[in-house]
Amino acid sequence: MATQPVDPQLRKTGIGVVGDVPWGTHFFMFYETKEDLLDALVPYFKAGLETGELCLWLVSEPLTEKEARNALRQAVPEFGRYVADRSIEILGGRGFYVSGDNLDLQGAIRTWAEKTDSALTRGYAGLRVSASTAWLERKDWNAFCDYENEVNNSIGNWRMTALCTYPLTGSTAAEILDVTRTHQFAIARRNKGWEMVETSELKQAKSEIKRLNDELERRVIERTLQLSAVNEEMSKEMMERQRAEEALLEAQAELVRVTRALDMGELAATIAHEVNQPLAAIVTNGNFSLRRLESATPNPEELRVAITEIVNDGTRASAVISRIRGLLMKGIPKRTELDINQIIQDVVILLRNELTRNRVSLRTELAADLPRAHGDPVQLQQVFINLIMNAVEAMRSSTGRTRELLVRSARNPDGALVQVQDSGPGIEPELADRIFEPFFTTKAEGIGMGLSISRSIIESHGGKLSIIPVSQGALFQLTFPSTPAMFHD
Amino acid sequence: MTEPVPIVFVVDDDPSVCRAIKRLVESVGLHVEMFGSASEFMSSSRPEIASCLVLDIRLPGIGGLDFQRELAGADIHIPIIFITGHGDIPMSVRAMKAGAVEFLTKPFRDQDLLDAIQVGLARDRARRQRQSETAVLRERFESLTPREREVLPLIVSGLLNKQVAAEIGTTEATVKVHRSQLMRKMGADSLPELVRMAEKMSLPSLKRQASKP
Repeated sequence: MATQPVDPQLRKTGIGVVGDVPWGTHFFMFYETKEDLLDALVPYFKAGLETGELCLWLVSEPLTEKEARNALRQAVPEFGRYVADRSIEILGGRGFYVSGDNLDLQGAIRTWAEKTDSALTRGYAGLRVSASTAWLERKDWNAFCDYENEVNNSIGNWRMTALCTYPLTGSTAAEILDVTRTHQFAIARRNKGWEMVETSELKQAKSEIKRLNDELERRVIERTLQLSAVNEEMSKEMMERQRAEEALLEAQAELVRVTRALDMGELAATIAHEVNQPLAAIVTNGNFSLRRLESATPNPEELRVAITEIVNDGTRASAVISRIRGLLMKGIPKRTELDINQIIQDVVILLRNELTRNRVSLRTELAADLPRAHGDPVQLQQVFINLIMNAVEAMRSSTGRTRELLVRSARNPDGALVQVQDSGPGIEPELADRIFEPFFTTKAEGIGMGLSISRSIIESHGGKLSIIPVSQGALFQLTFPSTPAMFHD
Repeated sequence: MTEPVPIVFVVDDDPSVCRAIKRLVESVGLHVEMFGSASEFMSSSRPEIASCLVLDIRLPGIGGLDFQRELAGADIHIPIIFITGHGDIPMSVRAMKAGAVEFLTKPFRDQDLLDAIQVGLARDRARRQRQSETAVLRERFESLTPREREVLPLIVSGLLNKQVAAEIGTTEATVKVHRSQLMRKMGADSLPELVRMAEKMSLPSLKRQASKP
């Protein structure tokens, strides 16, 4: 059974020493005897027929067309079929090149092109040719050499292989050189077998190809290594990213808990102060009243004033406690109707001492006609505490400037808007986008979650938290959509 | 001897607390003046009579502890009773170390505050007493002649008349005269009394001065 060459672009020559060659191979042999010719050409055409090529064998003496046909018939089992479907033509060499009395070499070149085309049209893989030159007359030698040269230059464009046979006997050294010059390589009889005789050009080309191949292979390996390194890096990054995301989720959950605790810790002193102030007044007034009652001449008016103050301070203490309860209350986020101004006022009262301690003067401008929003008051308190404490810290870092904090609420087309503006050093424009990223912080001891969480809280309320560029200090703006109609009465 | 009514200054930013303290303290016969901040207190004029200061730790502007340091720096030695809404131990230690009379946590017992105020006033009286005594001694010391002022430190450092004479290059008899004059002018009946007076006036080192050969 016929074997196909491994690479469909490579053609099996059938000549052991040559092996497989690409289309466009143009080589030659010098022969001395008929046996030399048959020894090379029979396996050459056998391989061509069995690999689906259209074959054309131009013979001349010492071989006859009949001898060539018989030799092939013996070697190729299905030779009869190949002849019948004209897969092979065996013709006289001289008749192919000579029309009338004239050598028509341009015609020959056209024929090669046409034959190749028709081979492809008829479904063959390409054209396989052997041409003998024994008929050639010396006067035509130079013209033929030009022709061979042209074939050598053009054959690369055709799906064609050609093996030219030259009689060694009688060839001059100059002629041998000419033939060598006009072909890619030669095969020569050496002892019992054939040997390839490469021209220096081919050798060069081959070594160049080998060099290019090696280079290509080296680059492929290099690139493969690079790619696998990149790949590894990417999968590592993906894993790290995944880990970071998991850590972030954990941290966020932890933080919601911790910020509460931290804020509470910060506020503990404030709470104690806030509650103990009215209590101190109550106890002192109470003691005073007792002393007066025990004296010889209690003054009812004096006692009435003191006791009125006791009642007022008691009410004040109770209001402080209910505000703190609201702040400490745990549980799932609520959705209730919100009076944003009231939340701001509560937070301001809670942070009053913090502001005083840091010598921050606070101004509030709260719009009387602020539309109601809806959401979780405790969460919003946290956002305001966060923004105000950030402002206080920012202003604390700058000496010399007056420390002014403005908290403003206003109606805006979509609902309500709140602005918190400080007189601190401000936020550099290139950081404006990054400050809302988790774990981004400009503080030495910050963990960079405050603004990130604040933004997600505001967004969960359908609003937006953003930074507005101002010439001095930092301005944070929150917007809230007004309560949907169904939340109104 | 009738003393003018002592004054208790109260500095607390909570007017309700201020009023309650004023009421209580006035009920025991003292005068009270209230201030909402440290700076208000500083800009007020304070008469030269026994007084003390009831000071909240948390104040607008400068805090109570910083204010304590500021007063000391300004050579104002008024006794301080701290009151605080949330006292912690380090804070009270700091205040007491810096010379506070008492550190009371709100709400405090009325008697604790009144006791502390009495301690503060007693301290202030004693300090004023010391101050006026020293002033009298300084006046007497100024009335001495330059020679007597030279002799006094030598005597109180324990030198004999003979040694003092050698020290200042005069006779023992002259030293005796200086000695009796300066004892009389200073109002000292004995050498130990003169030594105590010199201490009260914090006269410069009484060490024997280097004698010339």
